[in-house]
Amino acid sequence: MNPLAHLIISLTILTGTTITILSSHWFLAWMGLELNMLAIVPILAKNTNPRSTEASTKYFLIQATASMILLMAIFLNNLTSGQWTINPPHNQTLSTMMLIALVMKMGMAPLHFWLPEVTQGTPLIPAMIVLTWQKLAPLSIMFQIFPSTNTSIILMISILSIMAGSWGGLNQTQLRKILAYSSITHMGWMMAVLYYDPNITILTLIIYIFLTISTFMIFYLNSNMTTLSLSHTWNKLTWMMPMVPLMMMSLGGLPPLTGFSPKWAIMQELTKNNNLIIPLTMAMLTLMNLYFYMRLTYSISMTMFPTSNNTKINWQLKHTKPMPLLPPLMTLSTLMLPLTPLMLTN
Amino acid sequence: MLKIILPTIMMLPTMWLSKTHMMWINTMTCSLLISIFTLMMLYLPNNSCNLSLNFFSDPLTSPLLMLTAWLLPLMILATQQHLYNNSAPRKKLYISMLVFLQISLIMTFSATELILFYILFETTLIPTLIIITRWGYQPERLNAGSYFLFYTLAGSLPLLITLLHYFSSLGSLNILTMTINTKEMMLSWTNNIMWLGCMMAFMVKMPLYGLHLWLPKAHVEAPIAGSMVLAAILLKLGSYGMMRVTPMLNPLTEKMSYPFIVLSLWGMVMTSSICLRQADLKSLIAYSSVSHMALVILAILIQTPWSLTGAMILMIAHGLTSSLLFCLANSNYERVHSRTMMFTRGLQALFPLLALWWLLANLTNLALPPTINLMGELLTILASFSWSNFTIMFTGFNMLITALYSLHMFTSTQRGPLTYSTSNVKPLFTRENTLMLMHMAPILLLTLNPKTIMCLTP
Repeated sequence: MNPLAHLIISLTILTGTTITILSSHWFLAWMGLELNMLAIVPILAKNTNPRSTEASTKYFLIQATASMILLMAIFLNNLTSGQWTINPPHNQTLSTMMLIALVMKMGMAPLHFWLPEVTQGTPLIPAMIVLTWQKLAPLSIMFQIFPSTNTSIILMISILSIMAGSWGGLNQTQLRKILAYSSITHMGWMMAVLYYDPNITILTLIIYIFLTISTFMIFYLNSNMTTLSLSHTWNKLTWMMPMVPLMMMSLGGLPPLTGFSPKWAIMQELTKNNNLIIPLTMAMLTLMNLYFYMRLTYSISMTMFPTSNNTKINWQLKHTKPMPLLPPLMTLSTLMLPLTPLMLTN
Repeated sequence: MLKIILPTIMMLPTMWLSKTHMMWINTMTCSLLISIFTLMMLYLPNNSCNLSLNFFSDPLTSPLLMLTAWLLPLMILATQQHLYNNSAPRKKLYISMLVFLQISLIMTFSATELILFYILFETTLIPTLIIITRWGYQPERLNAGSYFLFYTLAGSLPLLITLLHYFSSLGSLNILTMTINTKEMMLSWTNNIMWLGCMMAFMVKMPLYGLHLWLPKAHVEAPIAGSMVLAAILLKLGSYGMMRVTPMLNPLTEKMSYPFIVLSLWGMVMTSSICLRQADLKSLIAYSSVSHMALVILAILIQTPWSLTGAMILMIAHGLTSSLLFCLANSNYERVHSRTMMFTRGLQALFPLLALWWLLANLTNLALPPTINLMGELLTILASFSWSNFTIMFTGFNMLITALYSLHMFTSTQRGPLTYSTSNVKPLFTRENTLMLMHMAPILLLTLNPKTIMCLTP
C-alpha cells in the first residue's frame, strides 16, 4: 500500500479509538467508533484474494449493524433523558440495546460468529489489530454504562462466550482461528467481573493484549499460519521454541505465569460476592482452552517434526520484519505474577 | 528458608555457566550441599521455625523437605546415561527443568499461606509436564502429559475457588493461625461441596483409586528423573495438602470421608492385584505406588494421631522405595531398551550386586520388619483397625498381595534361567551403585531412629 495512505489510515484508526475513549458526548463516541471501523476496512482488505475481501466485508457489515443499533439506543436515550452525556441510561431496554450492540462489536457470544472468519481472512498483523486494538473502544463505553445493565444478561453472555470460545477452538489447526476463539474466551472472563470490579476488567484486558501481541509477533516472525508450520520452528529459529509454550500456558492461565493473575483476581471477586458456581464453571470450561494451547505446545517444542534442511538456512539471514518491543512484552506476559498486588488497585 | 531456596535458585546460573565436563559434578555437589542444609530443619525446639512471613518449617514439612532435597542429587545421578548423546545445552535444559521443579517443591512444602501453597502446587505441573512430554521415550508420552495436566487441573480449580471462599469468610489462610481461626463446619449441602472442593485436588494427586488413570501413563512414559520425582514427591504433595487442609474441615470429615475410605480400601486391593498381572516393569511399580498411597489416604482420612504419624512415615518410606525401584527398572531399560520384565530374567547369576539392590528394594516394598515401611504400615493398619474392625480384611489382604507381587518382581527378574537374548549387557556402573546406595542408606538408617520422620507434634 502507498506509505502515505497507510500512514493516514493508521492514524485514523488511532484517532477513532482515542475519540471514543476520551469523549463524554454520546454522538462523539459513536463517531469515533465509525471512524475506527471505516479506517480499518482497507487494512483488512490489503490482500487482494477473495477471502480477504470477504473478511473485510463481513467485518464492515457486522460493525455497521452494531453501530446502528448503538446509534438508535443513543437517540432513544436522548429522547428519554434529554441530554447527550455518557451516563448509565435509566431505561432497562436501552441499556440492554447498548449492551447487545457492544457485544456484537467486541465479538462475544452469542454474536461471535464473525470473529474467527474475519481473523482468518486477514494477514497476521491486521488480525492482531482486530483482536486487540478494536476491543478498547467498545470496552470503554461498556465501562461507563455497566451500572445500569442487567447482571444476569452480562453473566450469561460471559458464560456463553467462554463456552463458545472453548468448544469452538477445539477443532482448529489454523493459528489465527485459534487466537480468535481465545479472544472470545478472554472477553467472556472480562465481562464476568465487570459488574463487581471494573478495574479487574481493565487488568484482564491489558494482560490479554500483551499476551496476544507477543504471540502474534512470534507467529509473524516465522510467518506461521498453521500448526504444521509451527512445528518447523525447532529447525528455523531455535530460541523461539520455548517462547510459544510459555505464551500458550500463560494464555491458558497456568501459574506461575502472568495469565493466572487476572483469572485469580476474577475468581476472588466473584467468590467474595458468594458467587461460587459461576467461577467454577468458567474455570472448568477454560480448561478446554488450555487443551488446544497445549496441542500447539506439543507440536512446537515437545516433539520434533521432520523438516527439510532448507529451513536451517533461514536462521542465518537477518530479520527484515519489525519486532517492536518483543522482549519486554514477552517478559511482561510471563513473569509478572509476583507483581499482582501492584496491579490490583483495591 | 532462604538458605535453602536461594542456593537452589543459584544452581541455575552455576550449571549454565559451567564447562561441559564439570556440569554434572557441579550440580551434584551443589544439590548434595543443599540437602545438608535441610537437615538443619530437623532441630525444631519450639515445634516450628517461623523466621519469615511466607515460609516456615514444621515437623510435618521437614521430613518432606529433606526427601525433596535428597532426591535432586539422585535424579541428577540417574539421568547421566540417557542424556549422554544430547548436546550440552539440551542437557543443561533438562537439569534446569529439574532445578525449577525443585525450587517450586521446596517452596510448596514450606509455604505458610494456603493460596501460596496452591500457586506453587500448580507451578510444579509445568516442569513435570515438560520433562514427561519432551524427554520421554514413546509417542504415548503426549497422551500421558495431557492426562497428567488435565486430571490435576480439573481437581485443583475447585480447590482454588474453595480456598478463595474460605479466605473471604475467615480473613486469612495462614497455616499457623488456622487452628485458632477456623469455624466449625456443620453438615449441610454447601459445606459438603466445600469439603469436596478442598479434597478432590489432593485425591487426584495422591491418587485415589477411581482417579488414578493418569498415574500409570505418566510414570511409564516419563524418563527416569521424571518417574523418580513423580513417585517420590509429587504424590506426597497431595497427602501434604490434605494434612494441611483437614484442620479447616472438622467435624465434617467424619461423615464426608466414608466414600473415600471405601474407595481407598477397595483400591488398595484392586491395584495390588493388577500388579500381579503386569508385564511391564514400570507399570507394575506405578500401580504399586497407587496401592501404597491408598493406604496413606486411609490414614489421613481417619485422623487419629497414630494414623497421621503412620501416614508421614509411609510417605517418606514409599518415596525412597518407589524411587529406588524406578532406578532399578531404569538400569534394566538402559541395557535392554525394553520395559518388559520377561526380557531380563535370571540376572542374579550375572550381576550379584544388582541382585542385592533388587532384593533390598523388594523387601522394603513389601514392608519387611524392621524397616520404616513396616512402621508406617503397622501404625496405619492398627489405627484403621481401631477405627473399624472390618478394615483389617482389606489392609491385611493388601499386605499379602503386596508381598506376592514384590516377590514376583524379584523372582522374575533375578531368579530362574537366563534369557538368551541378553548376553552382552554390562554390569552396574559405580554411578548406579552409588545411586542405589543413596536410596537404601536413608531407609536403613531411619530404621534406627524413626523419630525424625514421625511428625509427633504437627
